[in-house]
Amino acid sequence: MSTLALLLTQTVNALSQSALLFFLGVGLTLIFGLMRIVNFAHGALYMLGAFVGYSIAAWSGSFWLALAGAPLLVGLFGAGFELTILRRLYRRDAHAFLMVTFGLALVVGEAVRLTWGSDALQVAGPPALSGVVFMLDEPFPVYRLFLVAIGVVVAVAIWQFLERARLGLLIRATSQNADMANALGVDVKMIRSCVFGIGCGLAALGGVLAAPLVTASNGMAATVIIDAFVIVIIGGMGSFLGSLIGALLIGFVQVFGNYYAPDFALAFMYLVMLAVLVMRPGGLLGKEA
Amino acid sequence: MHMSGQFRPSRRAMLKVGLAGAAGLAAPAILSTSPRAESGPIKIGMPVALTGPLGSVGQQTKRGAEFWAKLQNAKGGILGRPIELVIEDTAGNPANCVRKAQEMVERRDCRLITGITLSSEALAVVPKLTEWDSIFISGINGDGRLTADSFVPNFFRANISGPMGTRAVSLYLRKSNMTKFYGLGLDYAWGHNSIGVFEDEVKNGKKEFVGKIFAPTGTKDYSPYITKIRQSGADAVFLVMQGDDNNAFLSQAQQYRLPEKVKLLTEIVDLASIRAVGDASLGLIGSSRYSFTYDHPLNNEFVAAWKKEYNTYPDTFEGEQWQAMKVLEAGITKAGGIEAAKLRPALEDIEVESVKGKVFIRKCDHQGVQQGFMVEVKKKAGFETPVPEVIATFPGDQTTPDCNKMAYKD
Repeated sequence: MSTLALLLTQTVNALSQSALLFFLGVGLTLIFGLMRIVNFAHGALYMLGAFVGYSIAAWSGSFWLALAGAPLLVGLFGAGFELTILRRLYRRDAHAFLMVTFGLALVVGEAVRLTWGSDALQVAGPPALSGVVFMLDEPFPVYRLFLVAIGVVVAVAIWQFLERARLGLLIRATSQNADMANALGVDVKMIRSCVFGIGCGLAALGGVLAAPLVTASNGMAATVIIDAFVIVIIGGMGSFLGSLIGALLIGFVQVFGNYYAPDFALAFMYLVMLAVLVMRPGGLLGKEA
Repeated sequence: MHMSGQFRPSRRAMLKVGLAGAAGLAAPAILSTSPRAESGPIKIGMPVALTGPLGSVGQQTKRGAEFWAKLQNAKGGILGRPIELVIEDTAGNPANCVRKAQEMVERRDCRLITGITLSSEALAVVPKLTEWDSIFISGINGDGRLTADSFVPNFFRANISGPMGTRAVSLYLRKSNMTKFYGLGLDYAWGHNSIGVFEDEVKNGKKEFVGKIFAPTGTKDYSPYITKIRQSGADAVFLVMQGDDNNAFLSQAQQYRLPEKVKLLTEIVDLASIRAVGDASLGLIGSSRYSFTYDHPLNNEFVAAWKKEYNTYPDTFEGEQWQAMKVLEAGITKAGGIEAAKLRPALEDIEVESVKGKVFIRKCDHQGVQQGFMVEVKKKAGFETPVPEVIATFPGDQTTPDCNKMAYKD
């Protein structure tokens, strides 16, 4: 394999992994930016997305339906959770949220195990994307190209939504100053439910998309939550663009680190995070230290 | 954003809870005394990795032991005493495992331990066994050191070890026309141990070992590893993988069309993985610690009973753990009790006929000598997913290393 082919395939692959990481990171950062909640259940909701996706795909025979349905259902579940439980805690200390979202992670994890069992389940990708394309004579899975494409589409959609849509404007207003937005007649409670739901739905989208690569398994929550936090810390808690940059950085560090220095690949991710924190304690695009 | 300001109270609160918990654990177990162990239920401590990346493996050891306990209790237990399994989750963490095992011994009167999932956990527990005056019988732990450098008298291994599985693969390969091999293992005790043994075996067999690489457990993207394997020019890659990592690797290897160029060999073929990856497992050749397709009267009987209970076939570690429980059962019956001083000599040189044929627990290093199996994953009529079919067996004296060793002379 030529060096060029290697660089090309690994770069595209790093982009596909960054897309998966981005879905996790952006949901986490949106929720934190608006609500100042560190959502410990994010990994569990990502896993829930994969399992709900499995069931929808098994029932309907269509991966595409799973891709649309799982984020929607998990998003509704997230909004419902905010509406019934989180809403009661806004006057309390921040550690109440840590406890409650951590509790949600445990409950979701156990509920998934009881419902779907403890064995990993196969989620086949769509047949149309099961082939390979040849990049400089090297086979590369079409599905990973699709991940890059959907990553770009979702990133642009979220960006345009936050910048252009009325709800996006209200979200930005509420995240800058909730009291002022409230005084101006914005339904802050509704905004919070929406954002929590959207964040959870994005995690579920990541879960469904990752399932053909790693299968739907009980262990998937634990392995992604750390990556998600690292991305958000690097990018700056609450920053949309920050989560995108964080996801790209970690995606590339993981893929190239695993190729060139597999023994230290795990350490690289944390070294990047440390370097960012030393230089900019609030993260690359964090508003304040 | 007021990150640090917001986190301070929570950290303090957490610390308080943590300290209170630690104080509770550190309190001396004045109430637990050993004499009770001679009557009453036979308590078996199982600190199992029920969650985490190897959670599906731990769930198998749990089910294997539970099924045995259920059937045995229906027959009146052992020596007229009922069997009670004390099961706790370790999440696959060796420090957790030692702590949970210690609680089971000191507070809950367990004198028998089994079901530990990871070799790293087993290696952390064995140095404590003498102090605990307890017997640990491994149902699935593969690391060769457990019966070699790290061997302790209260440890027994009823299962096929990692080196034994690897040996079966290498004996099989000596007859094949493949000449260049690569190794991919999980980056912990078992992965390094088995890849090392395989490398020696390949070299002993006068073939070429072209490289190895280790992936941390919980790796989600295997493409850098797949690329390395492809670049190595090897005819086959030997995998020492399990759980979620194994599933991720097999799924992605198929997506990259790796099996068209490089044959996939594995130390362990297990059903959970085959079900999880479907056709991506076809053609996989490997040793099997246990396969429900092995034709033996006791196995056929076991498979039928299992199918009736769980409506599915017993998986690798369910069969392995079951065999360990049968060995333990035979040992306790022969010893007439569960005290380490009686049970240890009873288990030494015991021979049990079980689901994989004869197992002989040799006295010198407490390894169960048993035959090795090679299987190939194939499609079979009447089964929804591919199944591992036995393609070769090797007698125990060829697959088991010399006493307290984990490498082979030839």
